[in-house]
This record gives sequence, C-alpha cells and structure tokens, in this order.
Amino acid sequence: MRTLSYLLRESWVNMRTNRTTTMVAILTTAFTLACVGVFLLLYVNLRTAAGWLQDDVKIMVYLDDRLAPDSVAEVEQRLRGDRAVASLLFISKEQALGEFKAQFPSESHLLEGLGQNPLPASFVVALSPSFRSPDAIKRWAERVRQDSGISKVDYNQDWIDALATVIRSIELVAIGIGVILSAAAVTIIANTIRLTLFARRDEIAILRLIGATTSFIRIPYLLEGAVLGALGSALSLAMLKFMYELFRQQMRTMGRFAGLDNLIAFFPPSVCLALIAVGMGLGVAGSFVSMRRFGEAKA
Amino acid sequence: MIQLIHVSKQYDQRLALSDVTFEIGKGEFVLLMGPSGAGKSTLLRMLIGAERPDEGQIFVHQKNVTTIRPSEVPYLRRKVGTVFQDFRLLPKKSVFDNVALPLLVQGVSSADIRRKVTEALRAVGVEHKRDQLPAGLSTGEQQRVCIARAIVNGPVVLLADEPTGNLDPALTSEIIELFKLINARGTTVVVATHDPLVMMQVNRRVLTLSQGRLLPEHRGLG
Repeated sequence: MRTLSYLLRESWVNMRTNRTTTMVAILTTAFTLACVGVFLLLYVNLRTAAGWLQDDVKIMVYLDDRLAPDSVAEVEQRLRGDRAVASLLFISKEQALGEFKAQFPSESHLLEGLGQNPLPASFVVALSPSFRSPDAIKRWAERVRQDSGISKVDYNQDWIDALATVIRSIELVAIGIGVILSAAAVTIIANTIRLTLFARRDEIAILRLIGATTSFIRIPYLLEGAVLGALGSALSLAMLKFMYELFRQQMRTMGRFAGLDNLIAFFPPSVCLALIAVGMGLGVAGSFVSMRRFGEAKA
Repeated sequence: MIQLIHVSKQYDQRLALSDVTFEIGKGEFVLLMGPSGAGKSTLLRMLIGAERPDEGQIFVHQKNVTTIRPSEVPYLRRKVGTVFQDFRLLPKKSVFDNVALPLLVQGVSSADIRRKVTEALRAVGVEHKRDQLPAGLSTGEQQRVCIARAIVNGPVVLLADEPTGNLDPALTSEIIELFKLINARGTTVVVATHDPLVMMQVNRRVLTLSQGRLLPEHRGLG
C-alpha cells in the first residue's frame, strides 16, 4: 500500500516539478488528437448517413413478360425463401402503368400509342441489413439475374459504388492522419518524459543501487505518460464537442441546412471513453519509448 | 561470502583489475586499500553487478555475479548494502524517506518500514534528524544516514566506497566505529579506502590493490 502510494506520489511530483512542460504536452497532445478526432467524427457521421441511405436502397426485380401467373407465384416463393431478402412488394403490370402515369402525366400518351402495356411486372426488394453493403448487393443482384422468369435486376449501382468509394477514401485518410498524428502525440509525450527522466537521473541511479526493479523505476513514468495521454485526449474531446456544438448552431441559423443539424451526431460516451483509453495508451507508449532510449540511467 | 577467482577487467587500454583472486568469509571486516585508480571502485561495482569482469568469476552470497541475469541484479543488491563517499541521498526527501527507500522498493508494509527505519536511524545515531532534509545535516550526519539506508533491510554484506573521503579525522573515527558495530552484529563489511587513517584504526585483514593487481595481504594497525 505504501509502495503504491509512493509510486503515485512520485508520478504526481514528476508532473508538478515540470508543470510548464506537462501543460504544454497536454495541450499539444490535445490539439494533435483533436485533428484526428475531426476526421473520425466526419467518418463516423458519413458512415451513419451512408447506412441510412443504403438502408433505403430498393432493388427492382423485373419479371419476364411471358411468365404465367403460377410462375410469378413461384418466383415470389423463391424470393421470400431467400435469407438475403427482408421484404418484398409485388407490382403488377397494371400498377406499374398506373404509377408511370401518375409520375409522368405529360408523357402517358407515349404508352397509349403502343396498344398494349409494355411495362413488366416486378418485385421491389429490400435486403436484410447484413446484405446491404455495395458488394453484397452486387453479388445478390448478379445471382438473382440468372434465375428463370427474371428479365432484369436493377438498382442504382453507380450511386452506391460512388458512396462506397467516398467512405473508403475518408476511412483511408482518417487512418493515415490518425497514424501520423498518433505518432506525433507519442513523440510529444516521449520528449516530456525524457525531460523528467533527465531531471531525475541521479534518483533513478540511486534506486537501481538499492535494489529497485526495472518495473518499480518505470511505473511512475508510465503513469505520468498515461495521465498526460488521457488528459490530452479528454481535452481534445472537449475541444471537438465545443466545435461540434458551434457547427450545429451555425447550421441551425442557416436556413438551407435547418433540420440537418439533428442528423449529425457526436461520439457516444462509450467511444469517448475508448478515445481516452487510446490517449492513455499513446501516453504509455511515449513513456516506454523514452525509457528505452534513456536506458533509465543504468548503474 | 565473497569470492573472486582470477578476475580481470580492462577499459580501453587501461587495466583496471588484473588476475585478482581472494575470498572474504561470512562476518569478516576487510579493508580494501589502494590509491585512487587502483581498481577499488571497479571491484566494488562488480560485486553489485554494475560491471562485469572480462575474465574470471565472482561469487557473492553463493551467487555467481558474472553470469547473473539483469533481472536478478536488483535482488542481489537487496542483500548487499552500499555506502558512498558522496552519500547519494535524495535531496528533496526527508531523512526518514531516504532510509525507507530500500524497504519501499521491496514492498515492505508501512508498519515494518516505520519500525526498521527507526531502528536503523537509532543504530547510526541520527534518529532525532528523521524529519529533516539532507541539506540540513552535517557531512557526518549525511554519511550516517547513508549507512542507515544501507543497513535498513539487514543486508548480508555492507560495501563502503571511500566512506570517509569527505570527513575530517574525528568523523572518520566515528564512522569506522559504526562499521565495527555493524560488523559485530554479523554483517560482512568491506571498506574501500585510500585513507591510511582508516587502516590505523582497524586491526583486520587489509587487501591492497595497486594498478589493478592484488598485493600480499596484511592486517590493519588499529
């Protein structure tokens, strides 16, 4: 117990002794992690939006015009039995014509000249959540297209592919920037710890001489790194939250985007905690790097 | 307790120790004499695993220090107390906290730390200074605190490297008497010094190093 309180006290003393360096380290780590956070927030919101849009994707399965009613029922049975299909809506030839006329009243005379209804019957298919990724939709459409009684499977493939590409690009940028700026945070914390190690090199040498193990010597510095990382991360989240609220307020005051402000979200508490833990991890990594380089004043 | 077998050590072109062989038994008090640069400090550093010989074997408390793993070194040092010429006390910690340090690193309970530190401070005669910072102590008192820190966890061996180097003759005598007392309680004591005054006060084995070589041993004149 006394040993634990000693280690905690030493860690606190380290931070208090180098107050200015500690503050600078926390602030620079916070700004660095906030930059990563902006991309992460953008990525999370775009993914959510993409999820909503993808949930809304409907696939049109057009039936062969020569198909007998029994065969239509058979196709329906087959689609209902498909585990990728969440819901199914049949649109008869007559309904399709009605909808066309309703949507394009000025063009309806074009179809009248043909004598018979040229629009095929179709099923409007919504896929289950686990089959809504662009690749899964593509695979499913290609498979169903081969089935008998089906003339065409249609969905807005270009649009879905474009969205997927945008999300993938942001994901890559977020990962790239995240890795680079995390390395910067580790370096900032490592340098702060190195200053502490340098200031206390004599003390470390004495601890070694009286039989302190490497872990006993390292713990206060690892704790210091963890606290710097966690505080930096928490401050970056506070900064992000402030910017997020400011952004939402701006959106509310701009008429064009009114209502959209409710669609953008901040990180949920669990993600905030995870980000603080990541900051802590980066801090510990910084301490570790510093101690490895410093050699803990080997005696 | 301590055994050196044909130990040699060289730094660049300078020979620090050359084919040194001797044995120190349990409970002995030995003076390691020699001028500055004779190899005394190198030898003491080897005994606590801070240096490794180029050749030969070193045993401390039945442990082969030459082949010891780095992770075992702290446990060796817990059995070997060390006293330095420059005291090496932590300036921002009280006398009590300085002496408590070897017990803290071993995870000793608070009650035992209080008891053992009080005993050690009493044994060296600075119990009344327990709450002071080292800067507020005289050099003699600082050396006593350093000795208290070295004996607080009951080491089997006490190594002292020029412990009287910063002290006047009167304080030197006091510190030597202290070492004799510690030795009388069963601790093996090795004092490395170049100070002839120390040899005058101790009628024990004297090992003399000269340019890294061990000269024929004799007894002190005390």
